[in-house]
Amino acid sequence: MLKKMFLALLAVLFLASPAPAELKVVATLPWIGSVARDIGGDRVSVTELLKPYQDPHYIEARPSMIAAARKADIVMFNGLDLEIGYLPVIIESSRNPGIQPGKAGFLDCSRFIDPIEIHGRADRSQGDVHPFGNPHYHLSVSQMGKVARGIAEALSALDSGNRGLYMANLASFEKKLAEKRKEWDGRLKGKSYVAFHRFFEYLAADLGFRITGYVEQRPGIPPSSGHMAELADSISREKPNALITTSYHGGKAVDFLSKRTGAKAIVLPHEVGSREGIDDWFGLMDRVVKDLSGT
Amino acid sequence: MKYLLSLLLIAVFAFPAHAEDLETRVKNLEDALKAKENSARASSGLFGGSALMNPNISLVLDTFFYGSSLSPSEIGEREISGYIREEFEHKKGFNLESAELFFFAPVDPYFNLYATIPVSEEEVELEEAFFVTTALPAGLQVKGGKFKSGFGRLNGQHRHQWDFADSPLPYRAFLGDEGLIEKGVQVTYLPTLPFYAELGFEALQGDNEVLFREDAATGPHAYAAFARASLDLDEKSTLLFGPSVAFGKTNTGSIGENTGFEGDSTLWGLELTYKWTPSDKRGFKLQAEYLYRDQDGGLSEFDADGNLLSIDTLQREQDGYYVQAVYRLDRWRLGARYDGLGLFKDKYILDGGSTDFGNDPWRATAAVEYNPSEFTRLRLQYNHDRSLSGGETNREVFLQAIFGIGAHAAHKF
Repeated sequence: MLKKMFLALLAVLFLASPAPAELKVVATLPWIGSVARDIGGDRVSVTELLKPYQDPHYIEARPSMIAAARKADIVMFNGLDLEIGYLPVIIESSRNPGIQPGKAGFLDCSRFIDPIEIHGRADRSQGDVHPFGNPHYHLSVSQMGKVARGIAEALSALDSGNRGLYMANLASFEKKLAEKRKEWDGRLKGKSYVAFHRFFEYLAADLGFRITGYVEQRPGIPPSSGHMAELADSISREKPNALITTSYHGGKAVDFLSKRTGAKAIVLPHEVGSREGIDDWFGLMDRVVKDLSGT
Repeated sequence: MKYLLSLLLIAVFAFPAHAEDLETRVKNLEDALKAKENSARASSGLFGGSALMNPNISLVLDTFFYGSSLSPSEIGEREISGYIREEFEHKKGFNLESAELFFFAPVDPYFNLYATIPVSEEEVELEEAFFVTTALPAGLQVKGGKFKSGFGRLNGQHRHQWDFADSPLPYRAFLGDEGLIEKGVQVTYLPTLPFYAELGFEALQGDNEVLFREDAATGPHAYAAFARASLDLDEKSTLLFGPSVAFGKTNTGSIGENTGFEGDSTLWGLELTYKWTPSDKRGFKLQAEYLYRDQDGGLSEFDADGNLLSIDTLQREQDGYYVQAVYRLDRWRLGARYDGLGLFKDKYILDGGSTDFGNDPWRATAAVEYNPSEFTRLRLQYNHDRSLSGGETNREVFLQAIFGIGAHAAHKF
């Protein structure tokens, strides 16, 4: 009898002992969360610090972000100084030794890419420049595979027991990327646009379109009226396919130019979740390419 | 002829070889360039910039034009009867608050180091110099050196972060214009909860010349503790609130002219901050603090030559508060503040007898700011100040300009 009870107790204990907890991922931006979910599957639970409608350039650390970082197994961020205004204080205040710089739980996704527009010399009279390169690489077809691989390696390092799963998810991500790339390639070749912010440069390089001018003369500084007039002239002359921007970048200035020159203005989705139906990174890219190819 | 042919042959064969050589050399060069690029990139750490050889350094210039309805002599010595008497350094006209140097960098994988060095026209001060641990387990963090105490809300912020050019009346009356900046050790704990919560304890030397004792020879004789929690009411609004306490031995000459006080003080604080950020362009912030001080000891009075006239028991139970709101629209910010002393408690009992100074100190403030970028702040502020003993109204104007250059650590919430 006693033995039976002991066995039953053992069985209960064994059954009740939880499966190893899933990895807690904190991602600064929605697209990073999306890729982490693609690679991590149901082995990760992802918290995103920013909402899709928020401009990453103007974010203040909220205490709830620190509370999330406190519990995180890994913090994944864009890098290239995009999070400089809020992430350092979150990481330090988190009291979480596992996510400090240099630790396995500290993942700068820009480490895996080849940045463009590296400014050797930069000062703030040029506006809000990023000396280590253009940080908006998330719309890059050629870079995203490398980021996904980096994320897969980072998750495997923290949770080696599931390396096989992460690598299998990576393989299907890469396969889908290769298929999608065939679909996207060529659709935008030779087109030209005028953009508000330096947001689409990686995509332009990948898909062979040109950005011939910028509404923003200096990043983060509103354009002067003289520059707007000049730009309106050059738009009328060169007739780009469209003026492009995102929901948080200078809609008014772009509308003004569009009215003045007759050029079409389009607001592109800039993040996963920024529009209905854009549920992951592939959905975002599909939409951006579709909107651009309609011009 | 043969000679020419062989030369031709050599040329024909040598050329492609040469071209190939050139190609590999170009390739090598490209690779080297890329490697160089990558190594430059590798130093882009969490804090940005290359912080390997140099700490991150920034300089904040805080300068203002000051106008007042009072005469310069009335401005120089400011007393709030029953609360505080202090030297006031602003001059009518142009003032330089300071050019403040900030340094910070990781020391090693275990510590980050920070220093704040305001340089004024007269002196260089070491306002803060402290380490913060980064590798402790269990949600613990230790800070040590000289630092702004975790007591209260405004106390932890640098002057250039403030929403107004000057500190509110309860801070001035209970802590002095500089706030509580002390040498000591702070331990904080962040439990794992679904919301943000922080608990902290500090052992301090107790140098504060208003609440504790200037140039304290023995210590620590002051302690502080605080707790705060934060809730996100929704995606766009956040609440931060909590109590604080600081207590210790007091020895101060700040109560009135020709006096000295020795005794024990306890300062309680309650803070509440609400922030609403509907978009990147707009925001609203409401911030309020309530401070309550309980003090027991002996007040010595001296004549003008410094001879002791009398020592009497003094008990002070006094409170103060401020409420301030700031609305931001793109590059503009509008602010309003109301602060006062003696809201619920205004007890000043000297030698058993209650003294009524007959004053009800309060002040109302309005400010408008234009911030061309996040590194420049231009502020116009008006104070209607009814706190001074004598009963006259001080109508003050500040036209302030704050500039920041260099790599500055991100500010807390």
